[in-house]
Amino acid sequence: MAMYIRVKREKTTYFIQCDPTEKTSDIKQKLQALTDQPTDKQRLTLVSSNEILVDSKTLAEQKVENDAVVALTFRKDDDDFEEVNIARPEDFTSFS
Amino acid sequence: MEEETTKKAEMVKLISAEGFEFVIDKQAAMVSQTIRNMLTSPGGFSETQQGQVTFPEISTHILEKICQYFYWSLQFASGKETEFHIEPEITLDLMMAANYLHC
Repeated sequence: MAMYIRVKREKTTYFIQCDPTEKTSDIKQKLQALTDQPTDKQRLTLVSSNEILVDSKTLAEQKVENDAVVALTFRKDDDDFEEVNIARPEDFTSFS
Repeated sequence: MEEETTKKAEMVKLISAEGFEFVIDKQAAMVSQTIRNMLTSPGGFSETQQGQVTFPEISTHILEKICQYFYWSLQFASGKETEFHIEPEITLDLMMAANYLHC
């Protein structure tokens, strides 16, 4: 395994195995299998730089490194993308 | 390169005390002997069918660190020797979780 990234949306984190030479579109393909959202309804944003990842570019070109955190957002019905929303555990009390 | 690795059947979902979900490769989850037993034993754990394990006593922060450790461990085993950084303030909780998970 070359590397992995952490793709986050709301309370869910997907650990995705990938290679620096893979394109953003390859990652979206993998996410489609997990989220049932088609690739053209997905948007990925590198959290550290707040940059939206471009489908045709590779991860290496966009400085997406091992263990990077990437936010996943979906296209809404009105064609806009939702805001980046990554829940923080501090906002939820544990049941234990 | 192996064919499509990110199929749902090959992923498992680990759920923390606060209800946060971590979807990781089964191969990574099985770094933990405890999870391996849950997923592979013939005893009919409901976890085996659903591919989902809830840890009501492990906080989100610790569970994420554990998942990162699983992947680090796979990378280390394949010859990529990097350091695994642990923040001092979570050491005790992380050790307790690791002890429980046998990893």
